[in-house]
Amino acid sequence: MNKDFNLRLVLKILGSLLWLESIFIFLTALVSWIYSEPDWIYFVGTGIAAVGLGTAGISIGRNAPKILSRREGTLIVVFTWVVFSLVGLMPFWLSGSIPSFTDAFFETMSGFTTTGGTVLDNIEDLSYTMLFWRSLTHWIGGLGIVVISLALLPMFSFSGIQLFGAEIGGPTKDKIHPKITETAKRLGAIYVILTLAAALLLRFCGDMGWYDAVCHALGTVSSGGCSTKAVGIAYWTSPVVHYIIIVFMMLSGISFSLYYFALKGRWSKVKNNDELRYFFAVFAIAVFVVLLFVVDFGQISNFSVLERSVREVLFQVAAMLTTTGFFLTDFTQWNQATWIILLILMISGASAGSTTGGIKMVRLVIVCKYCYYEFKHMIHPNAVIPITYSRQAIKSDVVTRVLAFVLLYLMVVAFGAMVLSLSGIGFSESIWTMVSCLGGVGSSIGTVGPDGNFSALSDFLKWFLAFVMLLGRLELFTVLLIFTPVFWKK
Amino acid sequence: MKITIAGAGEVGSHLAKMLSTEDHEITIMDIEPKKLESLSTHYDLMTFEGEAASVRNLTEIAVQRADLFVAVTPFESVNISAAMLASSLGAKKTLARIDSQEYVENPELFEQVGINSLVYPEMLAAKEIVQALSTSWQRINISFANGKLRVLGIKVRKDAPMLNQQFKTGFLDHARFRVVAVKRGSETIIPGGDDELLDGDIVFAICTEENLEFLREQAGKKKFPIRNVMIMGGSKIAVKTALFLPSQVKAKLFEADEERCRKVAEWLPGHLVINGDARNIDLLREEGILNCDAFVALTDNSESNILACLIAKQFGVVKTIAEVENTDYIPLAQNLDIGTIINKKLIAASHIYQLTLDESVLNVRYLPSSEALIIEFEAQPDSKVTRRKIRELHIPSEVNFGGYVRGGKGYICSGDTVIEAGDHVIVFCAAAVARKIEGLFS
Repeated sequence: MNKDFNLRLVLKILGSLLWLESIFIFLTALVSWIYSEPDWIYFVGTGIAAVGLGTAGISIGRNAPKILSRREGTLIVVFTWVVFSLVGLMPFWLSGSIPSFTDAFFETMSGFTTTGGTVLDNIEDLSYTMLFWRSLTHWIGGLGIVVISLALLPMFSFSGIQLFGAEIGGPTKDKIHPKITETAKRLGAIYVILTLAAALLLRFCGDMGWYDAVCHALGTVSSGGCSTKAVGIAYWTSPVVHYIIIVFMMLSGISFSLYYFALKGRWSKVKNNDELRYFFAVFAIAVFVVLLFVVDFGQISNFSVLERSVREVLFQVAAMLTTTGFFLTDFTQWNQATWIILLILMISGASAGSTTGGIKMVRLVIVCKYCYYEFKHMIHPNAVIPITYSRQAIKSDVVTRVLAFVLLYLMVVAFGAMVLSLSGIGFSESIWTMVSCLGGVGSSIGTVGPDGNFSALSDFLKWFLAFVMLLGRLELFTVLLIFTPVFWKK
Repeated sequence: MKITIAGAGEVGSHLAKMLSTEDHEITIMDIEPKKLESLSTHYDLMTFEGEAASVRNLTEIAVQRADLFVAVTPFESVNISAAMLASSLGAKKTLARIDSQEYVENPELFEQVGINSLVYPEMLAAKEIVQALSTSWQRINISFANGKLRVLGIKVRKDAPMLNQQFKTGFLDHARFRVVAVKRGSETIIPGGDDELLDGDIVFAICTEENLEFLREQAGKKKFPIRNVMIMGGSKIAVKTALFLPSQVKAKLFEADEERCRKVAEWLPGHLVINGDARNIDLLREEGILNCDAFVALTDNSESNILACLIAKQFGVVKTIAEVENTDYIPLAQNLDIGTIINKKLIAASHIYQLTLDESVLNVRYLPSSEALIIEFEAQPDSKVTRRKIRELHIPSEVNFGGYVRGGKGYICSGDTVIEAGDHVIVFCAAAVARKIEGLFS
């Protein structure tokens, strides 16, 4: 066992990832060319800096041995996200679009982690280029930086498994192809197709322009939630736009592997998937319960009013459940009883293997089944009852890991809410903000609600919440591992 | 190439590791999830928990699209039925690991039911042991093209004439043999002009049939015929080895289990089977270890095999052979001066590996403990390799052309050699670049 860190390899991989980021940055510079904005200079500058840093990293790690243990894999994944955010914030910061470094970091991290919480008071003040970059960070982070890299950079094939395992969420890792790079390519293709479909539909069926259609497609499919307008989706009055976004939020809440199986004609895989069924069941129940509180029963016969309420509820429930965090209406005006439903949806999140955050449906299903199993066990102490998921028995160590994850998740929520409360944020806002950042939703209530944003928070809280977002995006363990003594012990 | 491996035992997982560094799509299945766990977290392949001989499982992993199906579970009957099923489902090539001699003798019966190749690791290992015994002064002897060219591994000692001579002085006659690699301690050196051979090196050399004697003299080795062999353990390999021994060689086989002794004695009428532990020094002395020429340790326990060989060396046995199944022990055993080390897994895996290379490849062998492969290629008409002199081919530095057989005669390669179509060429290379040179020959 080689116990020393293979730091040079870590640098080499981070370096080549920076090259990849520079491609996205240069791409954004093209947008300013299209809109003939002066912002291209910041993007070209940042892009060149990224290439320079990347080259430095690659040349340091040129002859690094290709041995990658789990520790290096963890380090690479966590630092990729941090480094990407540090480089990605440069255009915002240098151009003065977001003058404070802290704010720029928060905004970029919120982008990459697909949280979509913003510190911008007047979103429309930013140039087209800046807002496009903001939406693009969502898209890069949505499927996972490493997954995208695996699909694009062939050099990763040797180390992909360690990285893939550290970044991809969910209790079980279903490979859809024997080769990790091929798996990443297939997932990437599904991601691109969904995004393209969303953009085209928004452009041609909705009444959006090309720019807004693309930006919202990037924000929807990645479950990000940054809009190009301060009032959010409500800016577009056409119900068609709303319905398209509802559909694509739900579609990106489904595990991408299932699309692959469906395309391959392996319907039994899709049919037997428990998570998919629970995902839609939870959605339907939540919509029904929220509707009971929102619908004005006095005007039940007025179709347009009813349709509008139903649409708003569908939209808001989907936005919370898939942790996208778009807002169509100020749900804080709704009966407070609906808040708890939305809060629970934010904690649960959608399917593992999708772009969404939260605990993930599969884990909750396993936990509930396990609890029920405990009851059965009390009546029949000697019975052997397998806990099944998608018609397969789950091994007990997987159940333990899931239980530990859910418990840790709730503990982190409690701890974070405490930090926020002690810093002077109100009680319900603290809990809401914490859940929303950890789950990558980005919406909030009170001073940070649909009408407000995160700009009023202190610098300390911005850094703290940026950390929380990364924690949630990488599903706790990967990030927290770095803070354990066991990780550093030789 | 899409490869499905059924059985993540020793052979299966070793093969999967070997192949996963190359551009293959590997699916490996086993009924034991424990065996799959570490494979799936460390290597680029897909694992599947299920039975090899289940039609449902085989369809689920899309065996119909596999280019090669390898059945290497511990059970012969499972392997055979899995390979048959895979073949009728549409796998292009199938291979089954088997345990009986009579199956190997009748490959056409299996061809009819769709099993293209059979692997019998114990038999392959036994053949290797008998080969090692017949050429006792060498550690490794791998023959190519019916023995026209041989790759030898020789441990050189103080009295060898080839010692302490720099390669550039021309003392080592390149026309007659060529040193392709030197193993010094745990390091493998590809020698250049300034290098010289030192006492204790293991020298890997290629030479033609006629020059074998010359190489032996140069290496300062004495030839001694082997007449008496002691075999420790009554395992399958041991029995096979005894059966394959030339008739003038007599073996004494030690086996601790009395039941097993009776059976083995029945199978080996020409040899003596002794009930007892071969690590018992008194027993060894009683049975005449002092007059014994070779000691072969073939129990299931690698540690016992290594220890028993060390005891035998103390009694002055010149040739020792140990079966070491634990791959981590191989370099250790080599440093302990055990003559030849046999590893079933490596032998079987490199045999199967050959099937994944295309038709221009005739034979592939693994050099134990050095990551290097020796491959015999047949140069196809109009292939790249036939167009230029070897030195102008721009081959990677990890690749070394050893020799070639043309018109039934072996030759040693030099930089000026031009390979002709139809030549059998012996190439040394690191496992990772094997694919690249494949292109030169086809």
